[in-house]
Parts: sequence; structure tokens; C-alpha cells
Amino acid sequence: MATLQKSVSFSLLGTLAASCLLLVALAVQEGAAVPIRSHCKLDKSNFQQPYITNLTFMLAKEASLADNNTDVRLIGEKLFRGVNMRERCYLMKQVLNFTLEEVLLPQSDRFQPYMQEVVPFLARLSNKLSQCHIENDDQHIHRNVQNLKDTVKKGTILSAGFMDDMSFIARE
Amino acid sequence: MTPKHCFLGFLLSFFLTGVVEAQPAHVCLKPQRVHFQSRNFHNILHWQPGRACAGNSSVYFVQYKMYGQTQWRKKEDCWGIQQFFCDLTNETSEVQEAYYGRVRTASAEIHSGWTMTQRFVPWWETKIDPPVMNVTRVHGSLLVILGAPNTPYRNQKGKNVSMENYYELVYRVFVINNSLEKEQKVYEGAHRVVKIEALTPHTGYCVVAEIYQPLLDRSSQKSEERCVEMP
Repeated sequence: MATLQKSVSFSLLGTLAASCLLLVALAVQEGAAVPIRSHCKLDKSNFQQPYITNLTFMLAKEASLADNNTDVRLIGEKLFRGVNMRERCYLMKQVLNFTLEEVLLPQSDRFQPYMQEVVPFLARLSNKLSQCHIENDDQHIHRNVQNLKDTVKKGTILSAGFMDDMSFIARE
Repeated sequence: MTPKHCFLGFLLSFFLTGVVEAQPAHVCLKPQRVHFQSRNFHNILHWQPGRACAGNSSVYFVQYKMYGQTQWRKKEDCWGIQQFFCDLTNETSEVQEAYYGRVRTASAEIHSGWTMTQRFVPWWETKIDPPVMNVTRVHGSLLVILGAPNTPYRNQKGKNVSMENYYELVYRVFVINNSLEKEQKVYEGAHRVVKIEALTPHTGYCVVAEIYQPLLDRSSQKSEERCVEMP
């Protein structure tokens, strides 16, 4: 079980780049994606630093080499199911915080030198989102995030619904 | 399985099979260095044949999938082929997605195991070609017209989609004065039409350009030189 858990953790680490891309997408989209509550917003400039962008991708690449589970993807279609664009940044905040606390910090001695630079960068983003809340019911968001947490913690393999078209992240 | 376990397992199987007999054919047939090479989102899977025991009659089978999918998909055009590459451009067209490819060999009825690529994200890994460049002389100046390379994709009107649709791109234009043989950067920016002025008459100038991707801090190779003699 421990090895499986580790593998899934790597898998989460490996999808960090995808999550960053999603954050980029959120930051880039002016009208549609940015909630009126301005705290749930990251400035585009956060993602326009080549140094840290490259490091994040390098870290994801290194981690993906340690992750031989190609079937399980933590940041994918299922995570965003039933979550509208305005709520996505809030969702990603939850994922980001969980990733930092439960995945990255416990393994922060690994994947050097990328880790030592990427973790503070993501921690800064998390800090910038600390005031981000949503007013309406967020049960559905917590359910999705909880699924992801359970997958990482218990090493459960995600169910087969994954054959759906997961390409939406790139399209958005 | 942790890498350490894998390695131990590998050593074990290596010794077990290696000592008792020569390596079984399905092991040494296994394709090597299976990887994607990507230029302007033309994503080609490449590999090398397995070690020496492979015969001349080896054929290869290619599968691919998007990261997170449980099923591998067969690439029909690359099923039982003899060459060492396979074009997966159409299969990997969501450029910000992550993909895997894998290859196996068959030789004289014996199948090798699969060899898989690393996780491949086209948006991150593709290499951008130099800009397309045209230089014309207009009176005492040079007009440089630049364009980004095309991707394999077409828009709804059927026109080619340029790399500019996927990245913020910056053009850099350099001029080489033939008499001084010195290269000088005369422009950096997003404009596709650049006018170079204040040139000396009766002098030859050569122009080259490159594309810079600020977000990734990468540049293309330089374009071919275009040379013009000033009147």
C-alpha cells in the first residue's frame, strides 16, 4: 500500500504542470473565468516568469519518471465535474493547498534542485489565494477535492469514467 | 513499485535469465530509446531496434494514449511497420495534454515486451522552427516581413494555424554588414513587418531572424540569411 500511495503522490506531483497550466488559463481569461470576488484571482504575471515555469515543468517531468502509473490522473476531467468556471480558481486553491501540505512538503528533500524553488513559488500562490472564498454552496467542490485526497491517501485507482474526452483543460 | 525495487527485479531477472541461457529473444528484441521528437507540434515517435539478437525481418507495433486513460489505442498506420518512426501528430493534438506512446517488436513470431516513452506534453516539448522571412529593398531601407511557422492544424476556414496561436512570440532581427562582418540586433518585438533604415549606400547587408518564446525563455535557430546590395 505504501508504494502505491507513493506512486499516486508522484502522479499528483507529475500533474502539477497541468495544474499550473490551468491556473494560467484562469489567469488569462478575463471575463468568463475571473470571479467578481477578486480574491479568487491570480495575476497573469505570476505565470509569465520563464525561470519558475521551466522549473515547474522540470519538476513535473522528474516526478513523472518516478510515476509508472499512466492510468491514474488526479487533475483531470473528474476533478472539475460540476464545477463552473467561476469556481475553478477556488477549487484549484484547495488542490494547491493539499498538494503543498500533504505531497510536496513531506517529500521536499526529493527532486532537487527543482523542489526547493518550486515549493516556495507555489506557497506564494497559495498565500495570495488565502482570502479566496466563495459565497454560495461549495459542497460539490469539496466532494471533488475529497475524492482527489482519498485517491492520494488510500491509493484507490480512479474509476473508468476517464475514457471521456479530457482535453477540455487545453481548450479552456 | 519504487525504482529501487524495479532495479532489483531487473537485476534478478537479468541474472536468472542471463546465467542459465542467452537472453530470451523477447527481451533483446525490445525497442530502445522510444521517444517523441516534436517540431511545431509535428509529433513523431522514434525508436531504435533492440540489441543484436533482432533479425532483419523485425516489424514494429505502436500504441498511444492520453495520460489518465486506461486503454491504449492502436495506431493503425504503424501496426506491423518496418521503419523506426511513427507520426502521431493527429493523435497528440491537444497540445497542453500529456501523452504516452509505446512500441513493441515482432520477429519470426516472437513478440517483445512494450517499451514506453516518458510522459510527453507537446506544448512544453515542441521545438519551434526559425521564422519565415522575406526581405525587400524599398528605396534606401529594407523591409523585413516575418512569419511564425505553421502548426499541423487548420482553422474552421481551412487556413493553417500558426505557432503564434499557442505562444506569445517575439521576433529578433539581426543585420550583418558585409564590409564590417559584424552582426547587430536591429529589432526585437512582436511586429511582423520591420523596416530597417539608415543604411549605407553601395553596401551589402545580410539579414537573419529568430523567434523567441518569452514564457519559456527559448529561442529558435536562426533563419537563413537573406542578402541585399544597397544601390
